[in-house]
Amino acid sequence: MRRARRSRLALRTEMNSLIVANVKQRPLRTAVSMAGVALGVILVVLTVGLARGVIRSTSERQTNVEAELRFFPPGTMPTSGNYLTLSARYADAFLKGVQPSEEDPDVEPKPPIPGVAAATPVGEWVQPSTGGIGFQLVDGIDYSSFVKTTALKIVEGRALGDSPGSEYEAIVDRYYAESSKGTDGRKVEVGSTIEVLGHDFKVVGIYEPPLLARVKIPLRTLQDLLGGAENCTFIMIKTTTPEIAEQVRDSIKHYYPGNPVLLTSELPALYSQGIKPLNIFLNVVVGLAMVISTLVILLAMYTTIIERTREIGILKSLGASKRFIVTTIEKEAALISAMGVVLGFLIAVAGKYGIEANTKLTIDIELKWLLIAAIIGLVGGLVGAFYPALRAANLDPVEAISYD
Amino acid sequence: MKTVLETMDLKMVYHVGKVDVPALRGLNVSVGAGEYVAIMGPSGCGKSTFLHIVGGMLQPTSGRVLIDGEDLTVMSDKERTDLRRRKIGFVFQRFNLFPTLTAEGNLKLAERIYSNGSNGGDSARRHEVLKLLRLENKIHHKPLELSGGEQQRVAIARAIINRPAILLADEPTGNLDSENSQIVLDMMRGLNNEFRQTIIMITHNPEAAARADRVIEMRDGHVVEPEQVREETHR
Repeated sequence: MRRARRSRLALRTEMNSLIVANVKQRPLRTAVSMAGVALGVILVVLTVGLARGVIRSTSERQTNVEAELRFFPPGTMPTSGNYLTLSARYADAFLKGVQPSEEDPDVEPKPPIPGVAAATPVGEWVQPSTGGIGFQLVDGIDYSSFVKTTALKIVEGRALGDSPGSEYEAIVDRYYAESSKGTDGRKVEVGSTIEVLGHDFKVVGIYEPPLLARVKIPLRTLQDLLGGAENCTFIMIKTTTPEIAEQVRDSIKHYYPGNPVLLTSELPALYSQGIKPLNIFLNVVVGLAMVISTLVILLAMYTTIIERTREIGILKSLGASKRFIVTTIEKEAALISAMGVVLGFLIAVAGKYGIEANTKLTIDIELKWLLIAAIIGLVGGLVGAFYPALRAANLDPVEAISYD
Repeated sequence: MKTVLETMDLKMVYHVGKVDVPALRGLNVSVGAGEYVAIMGPSGCGKSTFLHIVGGMLQPTSGRVLIDGEDLTVMSDKERTDLRRRKIGFVFQRFNLFPTLTAEGNLKLAERIYSNGSNGGDSARRHEVLKLLRLENKIHHKPLELSGGEQQRVAIARAIINRPAILLADEPTGNLDSENSQIVLDMMRGLNNEFRQTIIMITHNPEAAARADRVIEMRDGHVVEPEQVREETHR
């Protein structure tokens, strides 16, 4: 029985050697097909990795603060990319309450929110990255209240000033300083000039740890430049103790219904769910990769079938069934696709290190997406080879054997 | 003697545009098991059409073809393929070996197709065939490393490795010089003598035909009697 199995294995090996020989015999066709499959794999691995890397990095920096709560304008979410639409006065309202005044005699009085230790308005703006690839966030902060809600420390230079003449000052985190260039084309350091919103800002300090955006400018400057007077994007709230964060959130919701209030600890889950338009984009990328792999293999195998018409005629004269012919061609496509997938992985990994070394982008290569890319490459290849395989199986044996 | 091939009123008409071109006009041929038959005739007389129909590669317009008692003409394409796999061996003028496989690889591929993956090849049979065709020392050579005669011997070995009921040879010496032609013809004779292999060989070569037990002459899609052949030749 073992002998019979060995013999069967030897015959299968013979069939496989026909497939391997076919792959070797047409090196250019094989290389082009592999490149096509690899392209699909690279597209998936790098695009998805880039999107997820940026989201993860952003999510980590968004949560790397001491403030337990975040207060948003009505109808918005932290991942929806809103700009300065929330009144910055809420920060004071949470701390001191609201009383009618001469300016606003009709306002409904509200008490200070119990348990709020500090609150700070933050403005956010997205601008194209200085490297030309991707984008970067810029925060507008009220420095004195901002430091009460975070562990921000100036490690070089000084803090953002609030005296006249300090409007166009910026502080940046260590990573930004080490990986970015100023307007003079040199590495950013204290005293460098960087461009924000089309204006030159002088870097006066470098801070740690990385949190929220990597570049921070005065909130009032951001408000002036965007025309959103006294507005911000969200308000960060630090409670007297972390344990009462949910109680404080309920109080804020009670007094200010309609505004989303999120625990900072809820943000990673929101980011990991992704951003809807981004998810749609990623699905398009996955679909595109599948189409590329399918079309490349279809064209390559179709050409191969025409070239090998006579060989298919020989197989038919030997009594090979349609299933045998389809299987042989599909196996060849699977082999080429598998090699293309491996090539794609190697280029994608090299691409990841190349991109990360030369830009401020982060690329996450996850096992799940490697598997998805591999499946796309293999399935695309098998689907692409199916029509040529069927065509080969249905060739007229007499015409095929006489083909020149 | 058991009949291994029988055709009854076999007709084949090719449709070329709006024109019908008859290739076979009611062919009646019978070949017994173990017989070595040569088919001769001028180009276009229908020899190859006959061979392709008998080999299950072409469906006739009408008539019947019995291979070892099985009627090819009532079979589906799949059934004809299966019958070809089990009962027919082909040898072509152009050898038609897989250039990327060794001589042994070509034989094993035929075994693989024959076995449909359900059982292994018969190594004793392989050894026996290779010995008879004097190919023992050539099994690891690829076709391009072999002479024309050796390639055709490998093609014959591949055709008979699975013990087909009929070996169909289409001008097997057409691409060979006279020395290699003699070797190949000797070996086909040997196959017939030693294995009682039924052989139907198409040839233009009277010397090759003379090695067969019987010669069938074809003209214009039908078999002509020997007297008729003589008359036509004299004329």
